[in-house]
Amino acid sequence: MTIKTGLISSLAATVLLACHLSAQAAGSAEAIMTASCSGCHKQDDNGTWSRISEQRKTPEGWHMTLVRMEEIHGASIVDPAGGEPGAAMRTLVRHLADTQGLTPAESAPWRYVLERELNTIEEHDTELFASMCARCHSGARVGLQRRSEEEWRHLVHFHLGQFPSAEYSLMGRDRDWLGIALNEMVPWLASELPLDNDAWTQWQAQPKQPFAGRWRVAGHMPGKGLFAGDMVVTDGSDRDYDVEFNGEFENGEPLSGAGKALVYSGHEWRASLTLDGEAYQQVLMAEPGSAQLHGRMFRRDNVEWGLRMQAARAGGEARIMAMQPSYIRAGAEQRLLLVGAGLDLEADIGLGAGLEVLGVTERSADGMVLQVRAAADAAEGGRTVSVGEAGAEGMLTIYRSLDRVTVEPAYAVARVGGNGGSQPVVEAMFDAIGFSNGPDGEPGTEDDLRVGPLSAKWSVAPFNAQAAADEDVRFAGAMDAASGVFTPGAAGPNPERKYQTNNAGNLKVLATVEHEGALLNAEGQLIVTVQRWNNPPIR
Amino acid sequence: MLKGLRNSAGLGRSTHALLVMSMALLAAGCDAEETSTTFQGEGAASDVMVVMNKPNNLHVVDLGQRRVIRTCELPGDFGPGTVAVAPDGNTAYALTNRFENIYGVAIDTCEIVFSARQSQGEERVKTFAGIAVSKDGRELYTHQSPTRLLADRYEVQGARLAVYDTNGGLDSLPLRTLPAPRQITIMATGEDGTVYLGGRDIFAMDPSSGEVRVALPSQSADIALESQRDVLSVWPLGSVNNEMVRMYSAARFQDESQDMETADWIWGYERIDLATGAAEDRVFGPLEVVLFSGMARPDHPEQFFGVLTQLKKFDVAAAQEVASVDLEHSYYCINFATDGSELYLAGTFNDIAIYDPDTLERLGNIQLPGGDMSLANSQVFRRVL
Repeated sequence: MTIKTGLISSLAATVLLACHLSAQAAGSAEAIMTASCSGCHKQDDNGTWSRISEQRKTPEGWHMTLVRMEEIHGASIVDPAGGEPGAAMRTLVRHLADTQGLTPAESAPWRYVLERELNTIEEHDTELFASMCARCHSGARVGLQRRSEEEWRHLVHFHLGQFPSAEYSLMGRDRDWLGIALNEMVPWLASELPLDNDAWTQWQAQPKQPFAGRWRVAGHMPGKGLFAGDMVVTDGSDRDYDVEFNGEFENGEPLSGAGKALVYSGHEWRASLTLDGEAYQQVLMAEPGSAQLHGRMFRRDNVEWGLRMQAARAGGEARIMAMQPSYIRAGAEQRLLLVGAGLDLEADIGLGAGLEVLGVTERSADGMVLQVRAAADAAEGGRTVSVGEAGAEGMLTIYRSLDRVTVEPAYAVARVGGNGGSQPVVEAMFDAIGFSNGPDGEPGTEDDLRVGPLSAKWSVAPFNAQAAADEDVRFAGAMDAASGVFTPGAAGPNPERKYQTNNAGNLKVLATVEHEGALLNAEGQLIVTVQRWNNPPIR
Repeated sequence: MLKGLRNSAGLGRSTHALLVMSMALLAAGCDAEETSTTFQGEGAASDVMVVMNKPNNLHVVDLGQRRVIRTCELPGDFGPGTVAVAPDGNTAYALTNRFENIYGVAIDTCEIVFSARQSQGEERVKTFAGIAVSKDGRELYTHQSPTRLLADRYEVQGARLAVYDTNGGLDSLPLRTLPAPRQITIMATGEDGTVYLGGRDIFAMDPSSGEVRVALPSQSADIALESQRDVLSVWPLGSVNNEMVRMYSAARFQDESQDMETADWIWGYERIDLATGAAEDRVFGPLEVVLFSGMARPDHPEQFFGVLTQLKKFDVAAAQEVASVDLEHSYYCINFATDGSELYLAGTFNDIAIYDPDTLERLGNIQLPGGDMSLANSQVFRRVL
């Protein structure tokens, strides 16, 4: 267990921290590969390596592979020219991700796993893929790889050879697991996720954008709300970048600091920052052909705390990035914060039908504060907000009534932790989202209007009779009534509980929103469960 | 679905709690030193249990005296701790060292009289509880899942039955290997020499010819309005009944629509009479909570007991649960005194709990030196100590 934990910590850190220590290895990546890989892998006259050349994946994927080679297969990633420990690994990850990576389109469907969006519930095209692959790890872990058919076959053999219990565990023992894996999954994977080096070659040939400069940042963190700020990127010493990050949440809480970033494969931005004394990591993708980054920044040691963020180059194409709040009631007058980048200081401001700008303050290229009135008879719906050439569809919503509230995420998982164990608690945080039932007045129909996040009072309750009998509310943890952040209980057996069981629980998450004198209630589900011991970058 | 969710959530809680608890006890200094005490009633036959726990101990327990009389420390790492006992009760064969090695241990002395390292050369071999001794004591059988570890790739090999000579001594190699079905867990041997292999069905193999037949259809059983069966069994049980036994769960549908929402969930057992080879499968009760292992009380085939976080007693004829008690913690592995007078719970943690099968009253506990038993099975037999 100790070894695993150490491995995971190092895994989690290296891809993102690669940039902290700029590569100082004197040798080339090719020399490192020859020194580190040729003991087992053969290289032919064309320079093609057995197995290695038959796959493409993300920087995290390559790093996990290299660490596994060291931990399980006895490899030693070394630079024959010397250099500080770890530099050879970083050079090799970079080399492989740069030369055998994934295109933006290939990684796009699966980025949630890179971004550590832990409450993602995957939906797969086939039951067979879900049960054969995605029952032990995410489907995204598969989706973020491209292999030749022979290479997928090797991977099946590796799976059962390394994890022999795969054919004995639930949804393995109910079938001819190996036969299905080899005869059905391998051809399917080769067809769905082919090596297809042409796509990669074409992406590599495209011009890549520079990253140095000032970037405007806007984002949302559950439990904290809107964030707006700046990220200043300057060229570092070895294709890496120095990053300064500054901004604040809507409640005025600042978040600022600095760190390093590295770009893999031409578009995979990975940064490691220390913000207000806390380690953060950024997993962002540079949109092809656009001075825009998007993804998630999360705490290194508590990845559930994350800022879903976008960054747009200041001075580049004018952009409207966020509004706070993002909704206004028909007939109301309200102060709105508009966050943008490169906005024209003289341009007209457009908010759409039924909205009138009463006043503008603090106007700059980075945004402005607007005093806005919505006409009493304004139609419900989203509005395109524009400042000159910059426009953002649906950025502002007009609603007439708040008819219901939902809890997001509707289903979340928190984990016990701490108490002397190796794993910290994994918290869960919720938003209450207001909806209008729309013109038909019926909830759950197509004309329903999502209004946006609302301030709520939070609590938990037993999910069912079993949870009540087991006193899950008492043991599983505590919900912060104001923020919607749930902190699970301590890890380990609890002598006060039946069977001395740990502080697991099955809870209803209850949000109450007070709106114009009425109370709107919403309900979600929270499973508080045991620790995950194996937490690699791609789960 | 709710039922399934509840079951799996409950399972996660208890297993985790106990693993952590056992680790804590290890840290508290329960040393696994060898012990040997003189049995006061020497010369008289007694019920004996052998069972393994961490770090890699094989314990000999006098059940009548309620005490550990010998702790044999085995080389290598623990796991899974599956034990089969020779018919004469002199040697316990333990599967350990990360599911790879077999050690034959003399019960009276702790001497290792037999050993086999199944992984050889470029081949790594794992065994998932598939270990059994022939009824004449001459041959030891293991079910092997081999993988060739080549320079830059792995190559899974066909599963097989390995046949060892129990007189082969240390570092034994198989006398022969025979192709076998994959996904085998528990095994047992019949009095006619047949080797029974518990997998997707229960298979019968002639260990001389290698001929394999289905002795009891499990997944291949085609029963109207019943789902495919699921069997989770890594505990070879039933030696006190001279049987091989394992439990299955299945959904029983209301109609041809096979609607899981309205289905009833049932527990059944699959059983091979090792004296006659007769196969029997039968529903013994409703599935309300997850149970890990179960067996009938010796001489009371109508009484079936199952265990995990509860100890449950079923009336087989009525297919109903008739009694249930909550346990202090989870126990994975059930067993009985040879005369059925007492019931023993082992596995998971490091104590053996003793229950009265009539009343389900707890009669006592026997603490084992060392850590948790994890997936280890207990074996009970009668022997002069």
